Amino acid sequence: MAAFEYRQAQEIRDCFQRHGVRYLFLDKSGAILLGFPDTTQDADVFVEKTSQNCAALVLALRELGFALSEAHAAEIERGKDFIQLKNGPFDLDLVFAPDGIERFSDAWRRRVEVEGFPVCHIDDIIASKAATNRQKDRESLPRLRSFREYWMRQRRS
Amino acid sequence: MDADELKERRAEYRAVEESAIPAEWLAEFEAAAQRPLETRFRYAFIHTHRPVMDDAPFRAFDTMADYRRWCEENLPDWLGYGRV
Repeated sequence: MAAFEYRQAQEIRDCFQRHGVRYLFLDKSGAILLGFPDTTQDADVFVEKTSQNCAALVLALRELGFALSEAHAAEIERGKDFIQLKNGPFDLDLVFAPDGIERFSDAWRRRVEVEGFPVCHIDDIIASKAATNRQKDRESLPRLRSFREYWMRQRRS
Repeated sequence: MDADELKERRAEYRAVEESAIPAEWLAEFEAAAQRPLETRFRYAFIHTHRPVMDDAPFRAFDTMADYRRWCEENLPDWLGYGRV
């Protein structure tokens, strides 16, 4: 599997939009969209956990080329909290209940649009990483918090 | 606090925020801001094989707690997925 490319992010954006999927880029992939210079290999999307949205998500993922069996589709439609997909044109993590973010609607209200990509606000990305409390997140948080200060300053000016 | 004092206080806060960013990181943030998104993507997304994590085409977890537990029980420590 090659690295996730901009073109593939555009495919997600356009396909999810066609199917009316409500989602937000989250985690480091979201921060990168906001301008955070760092490396990652995962594309993570926070998906609204409603039956209608999850059904639309399955259709969109199949259109993108993910090989979803009926059993896989059923698990997505049930909106399990976390699903890893490595059976498509790129790897994708589906997060339905990220740590540190209470409700999708709250994150949606605070979202930022970057070239048409819906992205979690930097504060939600930080809250989610802080709540996870993993070694790798703890190492990246100081730099991410500094980026938050820079990003907020840019928005104010 | 009157309007002038408030403005002054805000400027002070801003100065503290700015000085709190290490110079090396600030330079990186500013350089990144000059690059188009497509270029930022090319620099940011990498691929390395993560043992165990990348060895199944599909995984689903009922809860995030289940996922975190699975990571801790199955992934090598050096991947950094263990909770602190």
